[in-house]
Amino acid sequence: MTALDLFVSPLGRVEGDLDVRVTIEDGVVTSAWTEAAMFRGFEIILKGKDPQAGLIVTPRICGICGGSHLYKACYALDTAWKTHVPPNGTLIRNIAQACETLQSIPRYFYALFAIDLVNKNYAHSPLYDEAVRRFAPYVGTSYQTGVVLSAKPVEVYAIFGGQWPHSSFMVPGGVMCGPNLADVTRSTAILDHWKNHWLEKQWLGCSIERWMEIKTWADMQEWVEENESQYNSDCGFFIRYALDIGLHEYGGGCGNYIASGTYFEPSLYENPTIEARNGALIGRSGVYADGRWHDFDHMRIAEDVSHSYFTGTRRLHPWEGETDPIDPQIGRGSGKYSWAKSPRYDVPGSGHMPLEAGPLARRVAAGAPAGAAHQDHDPLFVDMLDKLGPSVFVRQMARLHEAPKYFQWTKQWLSQLYLHDSFYTKPEELESGKGFGATEAARGALLDWIVLEDGKIENYQVITPTAWNIGPRDSDGTPGPIEQALVGTPIADVDDPVELGHVARSFDSCLVCTVHAYDGKSGRELSTFVVNGMV
Amino acid sequence: MASVLWFQAGACSGNTMSFLNAEEPNVVDLIVDFGLDLLWHPSLGLELGENAKKIFTDCAEGRRNLDIFVLEGTVIQAPDKSGRYDMFADRPMIDWINELAAAAQIVVAIGDCACWGGIPAMEPNPSDSTGLQFHKRERGGFLGPDWRSRSSLPVINIPGCPAHPDWITQILVALATGRAGDIALDDLHRPQTFFKTFTQTGCTRVQFFEYKQSTTSFGEGTRSGCLFYEYGCRGPMTHSPCNRILWNRQSSKTRAGMPCTGCTEPEFPFFDLAPGTVFKTQKVAGTIPKEIPEGADHLSYMAHAAAARIAAPQWSKEDMFVV
Repeated sequence: MTALDLFVSPLGRVEGDLDVRVTIEDGVVTSAWTEAAMFRGFEIILKGKDPQAGLIVTPRICGICGGSHLYKACYALDTAWKTHVPPNGTLIRNIAQACETLQSIPRYFYALFAIDLVNKNYAHSPLYDEAVRRFAPYVGTSYQTGVVLSAKPVEVYAIFGGQWPHSSFMVPGGVMCGPNLADVTRSTAILDHWKNHWLEKQWLGCSIERWMEIKTWADMQEWVEENESQYNSDCGFFIRYALDIGLHEYGGGCGNYIASGTYFEPSLYENPTIEARNGALIGRSGVYADGRWHDFDHMRIAEDVSHSYFTGTRRLHPWEGETDPIDPQIGRGSGKYSWAKSPRYDVPGSGHMPLEAGPLARRVAAGAPAGAAHQDHDPLFVDMLDKLGPSVFVRQMARLHEAPKYFQWTKQWLSQLYLHDSFYTKPEELESGKGFGATEAARGALLDWIVLEDGKIENYQVITPTAWNIGPRDSDGTPGPIEQALVGTPIADVDDPVELGHVARSFDSCLVCTVHAYDGKSGRELSTFVVNGMV
Repeated sequence: MASVLWFQAGACSGNTMSFLNAEEPNVVDLIVDFGLDLLWHPSLGLELGENAKKIFTDCAEGRRNLDIFVLEGTVIQAPDKSGRYDMFADRPMIDWINELAAAAQIVVAIGDCACWGGIPAMEPNPSDSTGLQFHKRERGGFLGPDWRSRSSLPVINIPGCPAHPDWITQILVALATGRAGDIALDDLHRPQTFFKTFTQTGCTRVQFFEYKQSTTSFGEGTRSGCLFYEYGCRGPMTHSPCNRILWNRQSSKTRAGMPCTGCTEPEFPFFDLAPGTVFKTQKVAGTIPKEIPEGADHLSYMAHAAAARIAAPQWSKEDMFVV
């Protein structure tokens, strides 16, 4: 048996850099540790500040999901201040959040994920030359259009929010803008341009409506073969290529999922409360664990710091959460190895578990039985998981499936705006209270908890999708979702372990990775890699 | 062909995301048409494995020519100036920054964080973050006030949270096409061509400012009025071209009804976001703005304001940006 320890440093960027250490035995990863390598201390900065400081500060946690940070920070205040949000305010927030995600899907796919598909590792594939022609960085025929046109959906964000990234235009009680006719018509035209030039023409090779007819894995396979246009679209090609190079065979992860849900039905959320949240969601929330669906309940979330560079000995709900850093050099002595905390969910009957966040988690939540008429009900990915099991491929398809889905929703919300109605109700700025806000960033569940006292922030805690996914082991020694997903990954060439990049990047965790390979026995460094990646 | 190495330290990646929104040139044009040799970038780099690490060390040790070193994100010095709160490729990031800044012909700080510390450096600055050559408005920062690059230039600051893609691409194109000599810097090392004007220059609300007419609420209230009087807008005191070179080719925060937060100035976020300061104009005696347009004094400002209010025509009190 040959054993290798690979040290991947760094592999991340949302809450900072991420290092990954894996042990490889006989060409397969047998254990993994994810280590967030950078700390800025936003939760510490927010303490004692103006109640609305989170609207300015939290988007700067991550410039990739800045609009999502703003969205949930705003709902945390809406619930704490018991505001009224007019339907137009909810619609504009929905549109903006969705446009950030529509931007992210192609930008992520071409600039950060697909460039690995041209790795020489796959030169044996009969489809390799075509992959290079399409996906090669900068010069690939699909890369150029995909990356350049990804800037279009956020033009719509700028029309309502002034700019993307880093606007703070969502405020308790609604939004700052009072859009006019041309703002709405131009937004419609920009989105249609993006659909006509990328989504339908290049990605799907068919209409959005045709794609949305797909309800099962068998349907999807039939769709690929249905005609030349679909077979040769980027999506049709990606499905064929992914199956050829085996992206459906590894990277499964923990198989348990969390979605905090996002987008509200305006009429059901004019007075945002934590209690009414699940029912008002269009993109459903939910937890799926050990084969069962559960209602999402934020009170069941707790953060564990046993392996994180913070003081503290027990799991805390974020309202009681603490952020007290310690020098990593000292922390390492007591087995700590990451700046990420380990979020865990108390699953009824099973106890605290790590859960995967992201598009696949959202697709599983959308496959749950029941659900109200206004809610997303979509069985496709429950069927895909049933037939294929979780993998890099299924996670990618879940993300890409959301482009046509969210496009349709966004167009619908634009059409529902009544421009002569109100966009904002001035709230009463309560001196104290507790709030909770959440959304789905492109890459998963993103949640804020705020405690206000005497007109200022007493406590502010954020759990990001990357923390859900890259968080380290907990006090029970249970690895986090990416740590679990890396196990079982086959590594064809330890000098160029592109498969690790596929798994890490399939979570879209904004990763930059330098991989150091060590001989497991002698500790001798064999090789150093940058598995370059996700912003 | 100019070689560029782009690193992210205490960063959110917002400047990279902004950069990717660029058109004329877009990121593909920059590389394919302008021949920018992007040696490595956290999101866009091509090289994997040994090759990438080799690029960093070759540049740092002078074996490979590095024309432009771009830093995005704060310089994280904690704990105790060791830099261990930000490790990159097995070393504190500050060690890479030191070596690469010394090796590069030109060093460019992109975004507030790299320029002067930005949001992470606000009180109580838990990561001991600072900018490359400024800490907030104070000269020095990580490299020191007298530091100069190999081409005898100080760090070129392109601030903003984030910086606008055009501010980044046009400066990179200027440097790459031998126009470094045309880049005149102000006393904060910002290219004057972008930062001489005010955010207010070109703002669609400037007529309301002229007649001292305030916006009355967010939402539909922003169809009229100026955001300076009640909502803390810093447009008249902030240097940027946000209303000359629009964001995402469409708009700007002030046009869309959001008060300028002054994010191209070293003090951002202003007042350390103390209670009562967010989206609220700070006033003297309950009515007079504490801060007034650059270069004005309170007495003449008040006289001007009183006359302007008397002169205000009826349309300046009505909605202008109507459905």
